[in-house]
Amino acid sequence: MMRVLLVEDDRELRTTLRDALALEGYDVSTAASLSEGLALWTHARSGPDLVVLDLGLPDGDGETLLAALRRRESTPVLVISARQADGQKIRLLDAGADDYLVKPFSVGELLARMRVALRHRGTALKPALTRYESDDLTVDLSAHRVDLRGEPVHLTPTEFKLLARLVRSAGQVVTHRQLLADVWGDEFTEHTHYLRLYMGQLRAKLEADSADPRRLLTEPGVGYRLAESA
Amino acid sequence: MNAVMLGLNQGLYNVIAAPRRAGWRGRVAGGAGAAVLWAAAWSGATLLDHHVDLANQAMLFVIASVVASIWLSAPAAFAFALACMLSFNWSFVPPRGSLTVDFERHAVLLAAMLAVSWLIAGLVWRLRAQATAARDAARWAGRLQALGEVLRDSAEPADQARPVAEALAELGGAPAALLVLHDELPPADCTEAVRVQGAIDADERAGLWLCLRQSQAFGPGTGRHTEQPAWYLPLRSRGGSHGAALVRLAEPGTASEICRIRAQALCDLLGAALQRATLARQSEAAREMAQSQGVRNALLASISHDYRTPLAVILGAASSLQDQGERLSPAQRAHLATQIVEEIRHLTRMTDNTLQLARLDAPGVTLRLDWESAEEIVGTALAHARRRDGDHRVRARLEPGLPLLRCDAMLLSQLLDNLVDNALKYSTGAIELVVRQQAPLPGETGSAQVVIAVRDRGDGVAPADRRRVFEVFQRGDAAGAPGAARGVGVGLAVCRAIARAHGGELRLRPRAHGGSSFELWLPVVAPPVEAAE
Repeated sequence: MMRVLLVEDDRELRTTLRDALALEGYDVSTAASLSEGLALWTHARSGPDLVVLDLGLPDGDGETLLAALRRRESTPVLVISARQADGQKIRLLDAGADDYLVKPFSVGELLARMRVALRHRGTALKPALTRYESDDLTVDLSAHRVDLRGEPVHLTPTEFKLLARLVRSAGQVVTHRQLLADVWGDEFTEHTHYLRLYMGQLRAKLEADSADPRRLLTEPGVGYRLAESA
Repeated sequence: MNAVMLGLNQGLYNVIAAPRRAGWRGRVAGGAGAAVLWAAAWSGATLLDHHVDLANQAMLFVIASVVASIWLSAPAAFAFALACMLSFNWSFVPPRGSLTVDFERHAVLLAAMLAVSWLIAGLVWRLRAQATAARDAARWAGRLQALGEVLRDSAEPADQARPVAEALAELGGAPAALLVLHDELPPADCTEAVRVQGAIDADERAGLWLCLRQSQAFGPGTGRHTEQPAWYLPLRSRGGSHGAALVRLAEPGTASEICRIRAQALCDLLGAALQRATLARQSEAAREMAQSQGVRNALLASISHDYRTPLAVILGAASSLQDQGERLSPAQRAHLATQIVEEIRHLTRMTDNTLQLARLDAPGVTLRLDWESAEEIVGTALAHARRRDGDHRVRARLEPGLPLLRCDAMLLSQLLDNLVDNALKYSTGAIELVVRQQAPLPGETGSAQVVIAVRDRGDGVAPADRRRVFEVFQRGDAAGAPGAARGVGVGLAVCRAIARAHGGELRLRPRAHGGSSFELWLPVVAPPVEAAE
């Protein structure tokens, strides 16, 4: 049974989510504050498989907890934040959180994100995802091959690196900063205009209608997400 | 001829009115000049001796003393005239070598000689004083006017304290200081409430505060605290004093009335400027207050009106599930749950809009600007619309080669979501999302613009409502349209606020064959040019 640590200070939301997750077969432990979450994390004999972390906690920053978690393991962390435009949310994603949800969200959305996060669990230790298949698009990273409707697609080296980075986190949001750092290098993290141009080129090659993408999705102000492979 | 005379007159006037630097060098030079004149007169008289009569010789001395009076000070000119008369008497009037006078023959000549010289010296002296005063007054008027202009053009007149203090220092002959109120007069003297220009000691500070509080001048010639070595002058205006000036006097005993009047005029000029700035600040604050009040009222109205309907639906559906749960069919239960979810999405959208409007309306709002592609922003709007657009009515059309936009992607998405939402709500049929670039018109300055338009084929907006539709809390009257007319509320108002925060504009254009086109016009900013590979 998957163990989930839910850190959320609002009692109603905590109870609702706990019950909903329990119904889906998760073993849920809950914490109402940062300190409680840290205590649960430290004293549990074995850590949870996934953490759902609210940002607006009464006794401090979700960042502290994330740092403590990341020191030990690569447990997936899902951030839930109250505001759409939340700089902290992006900072946490950059610091290694796996995904985010803006309140209010439906249980369905939360469960979908949890499934993706759990699928990626431990990718830092195990061989990373190297294959992506969705409808008629196939990406094989090890073979350096991209096929659309059975036909090979020619990508430039930069386009391929960008797509590869998204494939490795398929279904999850990857922030602008992460993409720029991983594809171009650490000194290019402010050059978002590169991303716009190359995403445009990728979409032109891989999407039926690049103005209405179904695979290479935009998360405005945050980053990009490759639609979860079917 | 007249012109020549006038020119000569003016020249003489200028010579007479030339400012006199009363240094010892000046005095020595003036004395030497007078001595040369006397020597010339004496030599002339000696040469002409026995050729002309005594009266003609006397005239040479009269000319010398009159010419010397042009540059000599009044007492010196009087003394020189007397010396000329006496030396003439000594050397030429018989009996020569003595000052004794043959009363019947020469007394009138000598008396007339002295009287004429003195009279002319006196007249020249008066003329000179008047000319100096006139020049001084003209110079002062020019200075006052220049300062007045600086003060009038200055948004913060208190910043001009230094030139005013410098002008006051010139009047007093010693460094001057100013104490200027930042705002209202505080109940107790405190350094935080004022700005001090120039160095002052504790006594002077107390004097300035007293002067400010009483709005009255102290010091020599004012009739109050006349023993002070300085003038304390209030910076007066109609609404009271806005500060006080300390004009230290180099020679308190001889301080002139005219200087004090000028100093007070200067202080009042600054006072009036400060008053004007205070009034401007107050009216700005009042305007901001009224505006924020207006926005708050509109937001409250929007919340109280637009939020009640979805809340009523949610409460109805939820309480029905709570109270009648077992008696409802599974289909009914699912319908109620769907209704709750839908209404909550609607409420969420309204909450986002209301909060965004309040945020954008606050002063000093900062946007998270980045380089964004129009394609992505439109793509996001389409993805969001897909959830509500079961019939696939929304289509996008983008011109190729669009420039990147410098904008806040989150805000622009919100804007497009609102526009698409409205179009879905108030029209039937296809909705187009069109992005094109508009070059500046020939002869028009300004940058190119990107136009993002949301076009529908609905009934359009009545001409009378086209302006009002962007105001907070306006809704299209779509009572006839089934399932429509649920509050846009602040939707279009927040769209306009977002457009304006980006230096752009949101326009509503009626379409040729019916329907509306809501158009976001954004100025194109030149993107960074760098090789990305």
